[in-house]
Amino acid sequence: MFDTIARYLKSLFLLELLGGLAVTGRYLFRHKLTIQYPEAHTPLSPRFRGLHALRRYPNGEERCIACKLCEAVCPALAITIESDQREDGTRRTTRYEIDLFKCIYCGACEESCPVDSIVETSAFEYTFERFGEHIMTKSDLLKHGDQYEQRIRADRAADARYR
Amino acid sequence: MESFLFYLFSTILLVAATAVITVRHTVRAALSLVLVFFTSAALWVLLEAEFLAVTLVVVYVGAVMVLFLFVVMMIDTNTTVLREGFTKYLPLGVLVAVTMAAEMFLALGSPGFGGMAAPAPHPASYNNVAELGSILYTQYVYPFELASVILLVAIIAAIALTFRRRPGTKYQDPARQVSVRRADCVRLVQMPAARKTPAP
Amino acid sequence: MSNLILVIWTIIKIMMVMVPLLLSVAWLPYAERKIIGYMQIRIGPNRVGPRGWLQPIADAMKLMFKEITVPASANKVLFLLSPVLCIAAALGAWAVIPFSDALVLSNCNVGLLYVLAISSMGVYGIIIAGWASNSKYSFLGSMRSTAQMVAYEISMGFALVGVVVGAGSLNLGSIVHAQQGGLFHWFWFPMLPLLVIYFISAVAETNRAPFDVTEGESEIVAGFHLEYSGMSFAVFFLAEYANMILVSMLASLLFLGGWLSPFEGVPILGEPSIFWLLLKVSFFLLLYLWFRATFPRYRYDQIMRLGWKVFIPITIAWLLLIGALVVTGWAWWNV
Repeated sequence: MFDTIARYLKSLFLLELLGGLAVTGRYLFRHKLTIQYPEAHTPLSPRFRGLHALRRYPNGEERCIACKLCEAVCPALAITIESDQREDGTRRTTRYEIDLFKCIYCGACEESCPVDSIVETSAFEYTFERFGEHIMTKSDLLKHGDQYEQRIRADRAADARYR
Repeated sequence: MESFLFYLFSTILLVAATAVITVRHTVRAALSLVLVFFTSAALWVLLEAEFLAVTLVVVYVGAVMVLFLFVVMMIDTNTTVLREGFTKYLPLGVLVAVTMAAEMFLALGSPGFGGMAAPAPHPASYNNVAELGSILYTQYVYPFELASVILLVAIIAAIALTFRRRPGTKYQDPARQVSVRRADCVRLVQMPAARKTPAP
Repeated sequence: MSNLILVIWTIIKIMMVMVPLLLSVAWLPYAERKIIGYMQIRIGPNRVGPRGWLQPIADAMKLMFKEITVPASANKVLFLLSPVLCIAAALGAWAVIPFSDALVLSNCNVGLLYVLAISSMGVYGIIIAGWASNSKYSFLGSMRSTAQMVAYEISMGFALVGVVVGAGSLNLGSIVHAQQGGLFHWFWFPMLPLLVIYFISAVAETNRAPFDVTEGESEIVAGFHLEYSGMSFAVFFLAEYANMILVSMLASLLFLGGWLSPFEGVPILGEPSIFWLLLKVSFFLLLYLWFRATFPRYRYDQIMRLGWKVFIPITIAWLLLIGALVVTGWAWWNV
């Protein structure tokens, strides 16, 4: 009985609502957490899985040996590989394409690669302006590899203990 | 200026009033009726009866017609059915219309109504709300109270007519929903985290 | 000739009210986004101009250059008429709002009733918008809005009757004058429940959070203005914010002593001035934004229950109390 009256008075005097207002009122003066994106970035994990790249050895030779493990493991069937023998007798890819619209950025290709060739870099700020640009060809991927080699190496070094 | 405004508003009023009964679309007819009320309020303002004018807008435009429109928008009127008996009922309709017109002519033509002059302009301090109030609560206090009681009866009757609980229908009771506490719905139980004997 | 001068002078006076009003209407959404952002530990718009101050201009530009689309099966005339009705009602009520003793467009005897009458016209804009769009969501939104506005108009009206009884006048200027004599002669003190109910009903009446089921993004997309785009949408938007300012203005005139100073008797601070009025209006507008940042949306049946079963009985009871105070002569503010 007493409890009911107390509850009734509590709702009549809007006590809970005032409590809510007090909370938001306090937050009005809190330090703001917004990160001004183009100027500032949130920290990225070294394991971040972004845009794909094909790496090279330090002597400039491409790492990929066309084993097609990545193609086989890819759950989204985003990777297409065709291979042939090069003049020097090694097996190389003639076509290595990743459809970024299919890709789910799971990182399975990266893990399956025996020579550490296909990797996902920490780059994520890329756009496509025309249809067709979303398919990364071999030359695109190698270009990314050259471009981000420093970052890829630094990320791998940071994460080496856990691999 | 004043007569110009009077004729302007009267023209709008008459056109809108004609539209109410001629327009085929019910929503448009209802909206024309809103316009009729609004312009007649404007005419009353010209007669310096601003309290009555504003009350007309508040009550009829702001409340009654909103509900009216509400209903009219919901129902799907089939105009062809409505127009079916037009010729059959025409003579009766004309008879009623003529009778009403004659009655109005007789009533409005009587000396009590005839040739009333426009009210003389009042000083700026004149407050017709106060005037209306003092007349309403002294001279006409019993009719006023009687009218309010009749309205009250009408309100209660309307509520009583619509107030029915169908058996078997489930209702929500917000008061009870609001007063639910954690203890009413949550029961903490102690359970062993794993079975002692492995499941077969 | 003199008529012509009168007309021109009146138009100039109207402009003097409308231009500052529309400017504040333009910057109120900016304030809203900023303040709600701050309450959510964000910083809100800050890209256009210094600290985002030019954001309203960018928004206005965007809306102006967008196409106004009319749905194929919509009732074209009514579809385009309804935003006009909305904004006309929102701006028309400002005719009788006094800003100080002398600054008033029309010192009307029945000012308060006029404001109520005109703002009750605003519901037509919403109903017609919902109906003329010929869309289910729009129609649901306008139905909700109609029922809600009709219900809350009553409790709002009753709360205002308390003020009228206390002040003994329907003229907004005389209502402010009746509150002369310091902080505790303002009507917020004897009529605190009425103030609270008035303001909550006003929030419901302007379809703002937490009573914004009319828009209800999560269930009926955008309610009555779902089919509107570009300027026709912007006009609804302007009307909503103009209504918010109007309601805050009324609350400060009727309950917080309008342009009267809270420090009556103190030399300079005690002077009545329009700045006090603007300060009070800003306070109520802040409350609007604060509510929106704090409260989740009400369920519709609870809105109806609150309006009819809670607010109306409380206002009527308090009305009787105020009436008794006035009749017995114990109303200390009437000296």
